[in-house]
Amino acid sequence: MKKNKHIMTSSGSAVREKPLGLRIWNNRGYYIMFLPVLLFVLVMNYWPMLGIRYSFYDYKPVGRPTFVGLAHFQKMFVTPAFWAAFKNTLQLSIMRLLITTFASVIISVFLNEMKNLFAKKTLQTVIYLPHFMSWAVVASIFSLLLSPSSTGMVNGWLKDLGLISRDQAGIYFLADSRWWRPIFYTINIWKETGWGTIIFLATLSGINPELYEAADIDGATRMQKIRYVTLPALANTILTVLILNLAKVMNMFEPVFVLYNNAVYDVSDVISTYVYRQTFAIALPNYGYSTAVGLFRSLVGGALVLICNQASKKVRGRGII
Amino acid sequence: MKKKFVSMLLAAAMLTTALTACGGEGDSAPASDNGSDSASPSAQATPAPADNATAANDSDPAQSAYQLDRLVMVVDGNLSATLDNGQADFEKQWEEAVGVDLEIQQLDHSGYSDAVGRLFASGDYPDVMIMSADMFTQYLPTGLLWDMTEAYDNADFQSRMLLPGINEQLRTKGNGRLYGFSPTYGNGCVTYVKKAWVDALGINIDDIKTYDDYYAMLKRFHDEDPDGNGINGDTYGVVASGFIGNEAPFINYLPEFWQDAYPAFIQGDDGVWYDGFQADACKAALLRLQQAYKDGVIDPETLTATTKIAREKWFSNDQAGSSGVFTYWAGRWYQTLTDYFIKNDLDPELIQLPPIQEVGAYINREAPVWVILDDGDGDNAREQAIFDAFFETMMDGDVVQTLWTYGAEDVHWSIHAEEFVTNPDDPEKRKEYSYEEGEFHLRPTITNPNAMWAKNLFDPNLVVCELSNGYGAPSELLLNGSKFFSEHSKDAPMSPVSETYTNESGTIYDAKLAVITEVVINGGDVDAAMETYVQTVGSIVDQCLSELNG
Repeated sequence: MKKNKHIMTSSGSAVREKPLGLRIWNNRGYYIMFLPVLLFVLVMNYWPMLGIRYSFYDYKPVGRPTFVGLAHFQKMFVTPAFWAAFKNTLQLSIMRLLITTFASVIISVFLNEMKNLFAKKTLQTVIYLPHFMSWAVVASIFSLLLSPSSTGMVNGWLKDLGLISRDQAGIYFLADSRWWRPIFYTINIWKETGWGTIIFLATLSGINPELYEAADIDGATRMQKIRYVTLPALANTILTVLILNLAKVMNMFEPVFVLYNNAVYDVSDVISTYVYRQTFAIALPNYGYSTAVGLFRSLVGGALVLICNQASKKVRGRGII
Repeated sequence: MKKKFVSMLLAAAMLTTALTACGGEGDSAPASDNGSDSASPSAQATPAPADNATAANDSDPAQSAYQLDRLVMVVDGNLSATLDNGQADFEKQWEEAVGVDLEIQQLDHSGYSDAVGRLFASGDYPDVMIMSADMFTQYLPTGLLWDMTEAYDNADFQSRMLLPGINEQLRTKGNGRLYGFSPTYGNGCVTYVKKAWVDALGINIDDIKTYDDYYAMLKRFHDEDPDGNGINGDTYGVVASGFIGNEAPFINYLPEFWQDAYPAFIQGDDGVWYDGFQADACKAALLRLQQAYKDGVIDPETLTATTKIAREKWFSNDQAGSSGVFTYWAGRWYQTLTDYFIKNDLDPELIQLPPIQEVGAYINREAPVWVILDDGDGDNAREQAIFDAFFETMMDGDVVQTLWTYGAEDVHWSIHAEEFVTNPDDPEKRKEYSYEEGEFHLRPTITNPNAMWAKNLFDPNLVVCELSNGYGAPSELLLNGSKFFSEHSKDAPMSPVSETYTNESGTIYDAKLAVITEVVINGGDVDAAMETYVQTVGSIVDQCLSELNG
């Protein structure tokens, strides 16, 4: 026999819960408002997931897909280029995250300490600007600056300073495995640090001034105030930023794609660029293999999200999803 | 609890979606269904080329009764009449001449094969399309291409055929059957040298006969001051777009360094296929490139430069950082490069360097191929109608062939009396043109009125069938360039047809690039690099060779 569910009212009396259909009808306005969102999510997020099945198929531009089971995954796991890309993805993403977060914190603290408001605002504007440049433009600019030919500005300086002999060829920064990663991180710092300071500056502006006044009374120096007041106040935000971004580490594509080349695949090729080449660099690509690699990437990304969610719960007391 | 329930529900929904999708293969296959009269080829229904031979043999009289109303064409950047450059006029005049509605889909040239792949994957098949020889070879085994052997053999244009050999070579790829049509010779690259630089250094170009002569010239371009800016060492000998090309014939941008090496699958004199990349000739070529890179005679940006970047560096109005030599396409590009030099206020005289002894001849690449996509319905009527409307008229020797060769009348060319001036505001470059009624002439380019239009799709000197209306290319440079190339070229080796190669060509190419980078850029040992190549893709290469020689 079906039991009726009861709910407690604000006065403490129990009343029988209305049937679901009736509740929906009573709140139909909200449901109608929600409908476009639901449809959007289903069509744009869930419908494309149908493509996951092609990771188990040979699927080429021509002909019908043929079921091949786990063949693509087997191929993927024995392909050195895939594992190199996987390793690079983690290394580049995590290092980039740590470096840009660290740089953002340093710049934020520095900006927070600035007393001249005009200089502070000007500096903020200047360091925000690179964020609004597309990666394609950034890559073109740095390719010109770092060009190994006689027109490259950085190599020109190195020659002027005598660090490179005039007869010697310039350093091919973007095509040298030893240089590519440092350059990549530097460009990322230049482009994204300013934007990253926003959240830290917002946190800093919320620190109770009484804490600084108390520190002043105690005779704390500026560095001591930064160490014992500012940084502890930022700690929670830093962890939050790290955790939220850690979930996205598998998604790296554009910054690498515009800056890498075949000479530095060993240190630069990430999963997304590997998939891109497997899909678009040959006349008759097998989309099945690309999908399998993409699915693997999504699974790892999903696992990272769950790990970050747990970490967030522990650190912040609430999850990110 | 509720949250958990909702989470479970969502997870179940995702799982159901995935499982449902897995079960629905038959209904949502990417190949489109066979429409009754639309151009929707289904490769599934089409047998492989070898088996498909008889399908096209049926010369049913009913075939000619097929009424073709609309034709969808996919083309790359070889069609000069782009949307900005009078494509609508070209299309309109073609439709008037042929009586069929034409839809042109011009895809990005540099990403053409990717774009075509995406087009096919979405089930959006054109009726006719252009393919590079490499692409054609890879699509050949798919059964997607219509066997046009009989249509070609019986075509009216056979009576005007000047160069039958090109399409005969295509037959060999299809085991005696013809699955595509090349309306033009392939063309290739020749080495251009800046005359101003040669003169500035007192080099006699006629003395450049061997690799040593050539290398010495490049070295002087780098070590001395050919651009006259007072700085030695800020210029280079040669620039190219990569040390190796990403499509056949691979070596055409740096032929003097590759010489007799061919870094791809190639057939020996005994007919046996082997990997030319692992051959001794290739190792020697890599060492030459290594030395040249080390000596600074090759612009270091060659490794990463696209063709556009290499080109623009070469004719940049600031010649510091530029090079004296550039190997690029013959014929029309001789004219186009010269135009760019004029536009950038540079000395426009370019010397076409005859092949050095070690090269012997420049490589005439395999010609681009036009194909008809088979709808797989077993009836050739539609495909024959497309052949008649598209290929027969394309080679009609008159109105339509002129459209393909020069573009739209009174837009790209004209026979009416008219006068015009290019560069009217620049006394040095100003040029006046005057033509009488009935005199064939090309007109200024729509997008750049200071440059003359050169051609539409066909280079007039490369086309396989004669244009019988007497309209000739007036550009002396173009004529000269084409003549020079035909006198100094040989045909490129045939591309391999292998399923494994089709699937793994990207992986093999990456492995080759790794070797080239290691040897040329990093100065690594060539044998060690080759060993890595073998370890990385040796099994794939062996599989390809066993298929090719099987």
